Amino acid sequence: MTTHVQIRDLVVEYSSGGYPVRPINGLDLDASPGEVVLLLGASGSGKTTLLSILAAILTPTSGSVRVGDAEVTTLRGAALTRYRRDTVGVVFQAFNLIPSLTALENVEVPLRAGGVKRKVAKARAKMLLESVDLAERMTHRPGDLSGGQQQRVAIARALAHDPPLVLGDEPTAHLDYIQVEGVLKILHRIADDGRLVIVATHDDRMIPLADRVVNLTPRADVESRPPVRVELAAGAALFAQGDVGDLVYVVESGEIDIVRTRDDGTGEQVAIVKPGNYFGELAPMFGLRRSAGARATEPTVVTAYTLRDFRERFQLVTPTETLANAAD
Amino acid sequence: MLFVSLRDLQWRRRRFTIGVLATGLVFALALLITGFAGSFHNEVKRAVDAFAVDRWLVPDGASGPFTSAAVFPAVVADEVAQVTGVDAAAPIAVLRDSVDLGSRTDVNVIAVTPGAPGSPAVRSGDALSRSGEIVVDASTGLDVGDELDVFGETFAVVGTTSGITYYAGTPTVFIPIEDAQRLAFAGQPLATAVVTTGAISEFDGFQVLTNDDTIEELRRPLGKATSTIDFLRVLLWIVAAGIIGSVVYLQAVERTRDFAVLKATGTTNRTLAIGLAVQAIILAVTSAAAAVVLALALSPVMSMDVEIPASAFVVLPIVAIAVGLLSSLAGLRRAVTVDPALAFGG
Repeated sequence: MTTHVQIRDLVVEYSSGGYPVRPINGLDLDASPGEVVLLLGASGSGKTTLLSILAAILTPTSGSVRVGDAEVTTLRGAALTRYRRDTVGVVFQAFNLIPSLTALENVEVPLRAGGVKRKVAKARAKMLLESVDLAERMTHRPGDLSGGQQQRVAIARALAHDPPLVLGDEPTAHLDYIQVEGVLKILHRIADDGRLVIVATHDDRMIPLADRVVNLTPRADVESRPPVRVELAAGAALFAQGDVGDLVYVVESGEIDIVRTRDDGTGEQVAIVKPGNYFGELAPMFGLRRSAGARATEPTVVTAYTLRDFRERFQLVTPTETLANAAD
Repeated sequence: MLFVSLRDLQWRRRRFTIGVLATGLVFALALLITGFAGSFHNEVKRAVDAFAVDRWLVPDGASGPFTSAAVFPAVVADEVAQVTGVDAAAPIAVLRDSVDLGSRTDVNVIAVTPGAPGSPAVRSGDALSRSGEIVVDASTGLDVGDELDVFGETFAVVGTTSGITYYAGTPTVFIPIEDAQRLAFAGQPLATAVVTTGAISEFDGFQVLTNDDTIEELRRPLGKATSTIDFLRVLLWIVAAGIIGSVVYLQAVERTRDFAVLKATGTTNRTLAIGLAVQAIILAVTSAAAAVVLALALSPVMSMDVEIPASAFVVLPIVAIAVGLLSSLAGLRRAVTVDPALAFGG
């Protein structure tokens, strides 16, 4: 049942408003059975996208995702169905139970879909619901269950085929703190059974549960470091669109062209930054990727500052002030 | 996985019931108009068979005994009777009048020679025997002993027949030909056809029609009506398909998230499609059953005869299943194209 996950140079790119967006850009990740891996990050940071790829529901733009012996990105047809059914169990954010079915029937569904006989499926579904402390609520429909109970049914359903990999998409998003505790305990127990549990969340309460935390939101370097002088030849790129941004730049001499690339590969000029002006402050401030690329149009010298140093130098104390002074 | 579809139907039982009632009503209408067409079809044969004759002679150029009013001397029947193979021959006159049956009602008036070929067998009372008597079909609502004014003269009802109507349920009455000649032909001894028992293949100046020829000719005027009914029936099937399709499509739309979850957890497209198709079939077959009950309940209160052929009851569920499956295609397509990624997110 043990299954390792190995992700290499994973890239997901899609179009948004005519511009290519890369929520995941060159991600590497290794995870082992028994681990609880937490994918932390703000909305849009690619947490759910990564889970979808691991669940073989979304195909990445490039890169490799190996789960056990399977290269997930190449699965098709019956192999894909088998993988989704047998290798991976998903606990969805909104529970996603079928409202017309009882708790027991909801857990039975993946078993019956997998060809398990009715009696066997019912017995296993009962056992799974008992394991999540829902023995008394088996015949209730989702509408008659609390959020925490629904989430536990969803966990039981995810375990129907005893998958070695369990994915949780914001499993505590709709729960109060009492319900969260119960769900966290169950998730930890699942991992203790030798499964690999990967949970996407922006809920800091889950951090103590994790064996490992993978932060998908780019973080700016908050430490103070000496400014770095960067010399660029004409046409040289300082950073590319989609890069993680942790420094702010001030043009000392020359000229920087800020260009946003469209889906069709053509560029759209956002700004030309002249000596004495700065650029690139929004990405480190808000934990975003670079929304445009920067390239020197002539021999140019820029100085790179950490966000803290930049604020001190330019007397921009709050993000609001910085935003108000932003070039674009 | 059938239980998921059945549970869903239970879950949405109100909509399912409304769908069954609406589709059942449409199917019932289809059955009823099939019954009307069946009645048009059958009554003609019954009417022709009621004469219990073998051949019908009408003047050359006339289309048929019931659809043409070409007259000729009634004595021709005597000459026809002499032809080898003919056992007996008699003149008849096929006429129409409107009479007072509580309200003004069109009737087919057949003038026959009492006791000769063409005289109808009565269900109750006596056959025609003399002038002033009339035999009426039971569909007139009259009974033996009643009176009826035809061509301005009062006739005494001496007998009744059953099921002798044509032209979409128009009742038929029989009077002696001598009365018809007096009232409709100004006393001239004319007839519109000769009927024979025994076979005759040709007769100079006349065309000889078999019963089948006569039936076919009598059905011809209702050809447009029956083809219109057939067209309406197809429209009704389409309406039924529309209702079933709408219900199934709505289910598919509402269950988009369910389908996404099912696919994300390893359910195949085939299983999803079968589940939705089963819902459509259950809806269609249940509607067909409701339609049979409705049609049988409504038939007696229809002003026209409804004769639903037994085959219609066999064909209905088959057509219903076909309609259900066809109409659910849009829903099926939606179900199988649902992106399982929809299962993620809030």
